Amino acid sequence: MDPNAVAKAFVEHYYSTFDTNRGGLANLYQDGSMLTFEGQPFQGAQNIAAKLASLPFQQCQHTITTVDCQPSGPAGGMLVFVSGNLQLAGEQHALKFSQGDWEAN
Amino acid sequence: MDPDAVAKAFVEHYYTTFDSNRAGLANLYQESSMLTFEGQNTQGCQSIVAKLTSLPFQQCQHAITTVDCQPSGPAGGMIVFVSGDLQLTGEQHALKFSQLLED
Repeated sequence: MDPNAVAKAFVEHYYSTFDTNRGGLANLYQDGSMLTFEGQPFQGAQNIAAKLASLPFQQCQHTITTVDCQPSGPAGGMLVFVSGNLQLAGEQHALKFSQGDWEAN
Repeated sequence: MDPDAVAKAFVEHYYTTFDSNRAGLANLYQESSMLTFEGQNTQGCQSIVAKLTSLPFQQCQHAITTVDCQPSGPAGGMIVFVSGDLQLTGEQHALKFSQLLED
């Protein structure tokens, strides 16, 4: 399957899950996964899902503007760069966000 | 050496080179290096540097706001996420940028 299509599909699934069932993000991370968010490091699916579930908003909607991917390393991994808008309930203006993901094969 | 310190030093070197001697970025890429910029893929040191030196501004200044890094893959690589401002000569407002680097 075309890597760009894989990346796009993964990103859409990730942010749909983020927006509708944030606890479900635990299925997208493993024990060896890492998140660095606003300077803080987190490791492991539980800790990462806990951090994301604890962000100071109940409802949010991500709109993806760009998805770029490149192969990474000798084991078929992929580097994905996403940018877009994040609309929080009750806020007049959307926030801008960007995220870098490294995915194992 | 502490990975965060390595990442920060690399990022400072990268953007200083970008701002003062853009062609010097050739030393920071290899034949297998890849750049994806505004949806376009470029591979190889020469092509990447050609792309970066062809950007539609002569002078620029990057101001780094955040640098985050994580280990990447089994071979000791590092992923670095950078965000900051990009001031172009003659423009009133700085642009925002973010970049993902794999070292």
